Amino acid sequence: MNETNTSRREFLIGGILSTLAVAGCKENAHPFSTTEEVVLTGEKVKLLSVDGEIIEVDKAYLKPVPDIPTLSNSEERKGIAGKKFVMVIDLSRCKNLKKCQSACNHMHFLEPDQSWIKVHSMQDADHSAPYWQPTTCMHCDEPPCVKVCPVDATFKRQDGIVSIDSDRCIGCRFCMAACPYSTRIFNWDAPVLPEAVARQKYSCETSVPQKKGTVGKCDFCPDMVRKGELPHCVSACPNGVFMFGDMNEDSVTNGAETFRFSELIKDKAGYRLMEDLGTKPSVYYLPAVNRSFPYESGLGNQNADDHKNH
Amino acid sequence: MNKYNATLLLLLMIFSFAISRASAQQDSVPAKELVKLRYFNDKNKIQYLVLENSQKKGKETKPLATKTFSLYLDSMNRVNFIGNVTTDKNGRAKSFLPPSLKSAWNASAPHTFIAVPEGREESMSELEITKAKIQIDTASEDSTRNIIVQVSKYENDTWVPANEVEMRIGIKRLGGVLSAGDEESYTTDSTGTVTIELLKKNIPGDAKGNIVVAAKTEDNDLYGNLYVEKVVPWGIAVNPDTGFFEKRTLWSTRFRTPYWLLMMAYSIIIAVWGTLIYLILQIVKIKKIGIAQA
Amino acid sequence: MITKIIKVSVVKNLSTTTIDAITQDLLPQKFGKRGMIWTAGLILLCLIGAFAYYRQLKYGLIVTHMRDYVSWGIYISNFVFFVAISLVGSLITAIFRLANVKWATPLTRIAEIIAVSAIVFASLIIIVDMGRPERMLNLFVHGRMQSPIIWDVIVIGTYFFISLLLLYFPLLPDLKILIRAKEKTGRALNKVYRFQGSFWKGNAAQFKISERAITILCIMIIPVAFSIHTVTSWLFATTYRPGWDSTNFGAYFISGAFLVGAGAVVVAMYIFRKFYRLEKYITEMHFEKMGRIVVMLALLYLYFNINEYLVPAFKMKKPEEAHLRQLFTGEYAVMFWLAILIGMIIPVIILLFRKGRKPVPMFIAGVMIVVGAWFKRYLIVTPTLLHPFLPIQDVPASFHQYFPSLEEWAIAIGSLAGGLLVITFFARIYPIIPIQETITEQHEKDEQI
Repeated sequence: MNETNTSRREFLIGGILSTLAVAGCKENAHPFSTTEEVVLTGEKVKLLSVDGEIIEVDKAYLKPVPDIPTLSNSEERKGIAGKKFVMVIDLSRCKNLKKCQSACNHMHFLEPDQSWIKVHSMQDADHSAPYWQPTTCMHCDEPPCVKVCPVDATFKRQDGIVSIDSDRCIGCRFCMAACPYSTRIFNWDAPVLPEAVARQKYSCETSVPQKKGTVGKCDFCPDMVRKGELPHCVSACPNGVFMFGDMNEDSVTNGAETFRFSELIKDKAGYRLMEDLGTKPSVYYLPAVNRSFPYESGLGNQNADDHKNH
Repeated sequence: MNKYNATLLLLLMIFSFAISRASAQQDSVPAKELVKLRYFNDKNKIQYLVLENSQKKGKETKPLATKTFSLYLDSMNRVNFIGNVTTDKNGRAKSFLPPSLKSAWNASAPHTFIAVPEGREESMSELEITKAKIQIDTASEDSTRNIIVQVSKYENDTWVPANEVEMRIGIKRLGGVLSAGDEESYTTDSTGTVTIELLKKNIPGDAKGNIVVAAKTEDNDLYGNLYVEKVVPWGIAVNPDTGFFEKRTLWSTRFRTPYWLLMMAYSIIIAVWGTLIYLILQIVKIKKIGIAQA
Repeated sequence: MITKIIKVSVVKNLSTTTIDAITQDLLPQKFGKRGMIWTAGLILLCLIGAFAYYRQLKYGLIVTHMRDYVSWGIYISNFVFFVAISLVGSLITAIFRLANVKWATPLTRIAEIIAVSAIVFASLIIIVDMGRPERMLNLFVHGRMQSPIIWDVIVIGTYFFISLLLLYFPLLPDLKILIRAKEKTGRALNKVYRFQGSFWKGNAAQFKISERAITILCIMIIPVAFSIHTVTSWLFATTYRPGWDSTNFGAYFISGAFLVGAGAVVVAMYIFRKFYRLEKYITEMHFEKMGRIVVMLALLYLYFNINEYLVPAFKMKKPEEAHLRQLFTGEYAVMFWLAILIGMIIPVIILLFRKGRKPVPMFIAGVMIVVGAWFKRYLIVTPTLLHPFLPIQDVPASFHQYFPSLEEWAIAIGSLAGGLLVITFFARIYPIIPIQETITEQHEKDEQI
């Protein structure tokens, strides 16, 4: 009797421990992270496993995406260790739907004229074909914006992300003058925010809430990446135009498809914008070859104020 | 009111009525509510349901937050009650299966999950799942490395192979699974097994060269989302360069200013301001002379 | 290093009536009716500017017409303009003193006060341009030495301090004269003078220290003055933008600064001469000499302009093409050519002739130079921002152009008025021409005869 009890107890304990270990390596965790960045509540909840056993898991996992611990300002300035984020934008698939732009604006509480993602209608030469080019911040490896900031309000993190600390920014707009990709916006007015959001403490990883008189830009959604999810623009694009990944893993994904980054760039002749300026951007573009949609299919969605004769 | 005025008034009323109808029509472009139930089986141990509630209006889809649903297993009664969930700000809710359903769960293989929105029992959603398990194994012979995945379903109290199960097999990466071979997805055969060769060479691994091979189904009609992974030492060791962040460059923080810049700036500042302080002292000296003379 | 050792006894040889005459002429004069109207007008403009700034603080920079593409507007072009004018201090005061150019002595204080006033308002207008002025201390607590803005803060602060000292040291002998002229200056001002310089006795020891200090300051201010405008030009030249990405910018800006500073001094010379009846001290000879200097500086600036515009126009690189076209023939063409014509060419033509170097034509030429320079600075800042590398798209129509809003005009004009106000108050309180040095030089002239 005792033996059965002991063995059952051992089994349960073993089950709990392995569950915790399993819970520790959740589907969404980074493959190489040794510790799970989840705020454990300490409370356990019992659940039924697939093979009918009863196991326990921390209550934190009851959320669709568990909370991660709040980071200090210096941790936010350092970034995620061991990662080097890269984005690949496939121009052959873009038809100017601007779902990326509306998702980004929605999640960061931006007005439409403050979009961090702009979809440009590009035509490189008189005889070359026009195409749609979504432009995010390039998160350059030698960022001209970071070079000129007088107060360290914008900085380069070890994971490659160039971030903005809206609590430090003095609004001199030198970074906006320095950026050759014109990707930064300025909060000329007080941002329109729901009250609960406006009262939050500013986080460099969510870039929310935006503040009047400071600069804003695409931040590669580090808060999403920490939770193992993809940036909002990547998930929002129905055509899989945006692909995001870690150069150290040599892989990028748009959610549905995952590619080996080095192969993708080689096969599809990926390039970066304004390479000769020496900014070393982290966003690669795949040329608009073998297009999924003709250029004209995007004209309907073009901003009414753009007087281009394409 | 004479006849002319009356006609005008009538016309006006008809007109405004028509406009309000037209605008009402525009407002009432059908807004469809979507409820998606998804079942997850994580490494054959933890299972859970994820409910996604959104509203689709024309081309816009927005998530519905703070909506409460009641979840049931197989039938809508107290015994088979899974739990109440409320969607978060992204319109998602998650639920495990409580231990009380142990006997109900073990009773059969196919199950139906029912999600009932609070107070609206007529618009419930259902998801049918057959209990399944997925196993992954690796084998390396000569220079080829194989990944073997087996899916079994629970039928008549035993595990039988599940065929025609489409899944992704490959290396776990940020946000997805990088296919190990050339195909995007692989399907199990009649023995419920699929074996693929790892064709990708020189996969970057962690510091020790380990990679995580994974297999997952994506919202399979019968089995839901199955996921399994295994750590193997088949990658190349990657030690990410942290030196980049520590270097002294023009784009580093103020604590990592290049030395040449610091030297130039401070030597100029010290030289100039040193002289200025000296000159202030000279003013003091002039003052002293003046006071002394008086 | 030239050390002037003035023997006090020498000065006594000059007849006291001459000393008195000079002193009476040069003591600061009370405002007449015109002076009051002038001051009241300037104060009114400053108050309007202050109110506009209050609106800007309350609502944010949205009250300006700057938007995401033209993110720098007339606040920044005003800033560059002020920094440019402030270089005149080093030119007239320092260079002329070191070169022992005697005729320039009456102009040194005018130049210094223009310099100090301009640099103060340069700092103020830059604070006005900040989106978060209350975080200004971040510049000092979190400042990054790699940023050209920090270099600008350092050199401007240093230049301000040096200019103040260059005002103060030569003022000390005059303070003694002012303290003695109590009946004319009044009790309140007398207290100020006493506080600032009652310890000055004018003996040889003090003069020796003072002269040496002035010489050191004159030597030091020249590289610092070159730095302020070079570093200010680097705010533009360290970016990639067409029209700014030029190796020429440092020299181009400095030559422009010397020109506009000299023009400002000419204007001030004329006004003070006329309204304070200083014809004996600022003579036609002074205008003649300054006229020649202005011609040289204008030609030098014209030379740099040719380099700055002709060379890129020869190549017409794609990013620069649109920018240059809009300046030469496009929407900014009128402003561009007028700024060159009025700011450089016509003044040169006027001043090439002896008749043109008389006070009145010189005053007109000076005004033209200053006005042309203001528009030139505007042309440096705004048109470039309208031609970024990636097309301006996906933004509201208002982002495609820039014309300053009422608040911006009010603040810009208010800052100019404020600068003039500081100069006006200075002239009210201190002698605008150094009294002691004039007396000394008068004696030296008499000795030679």
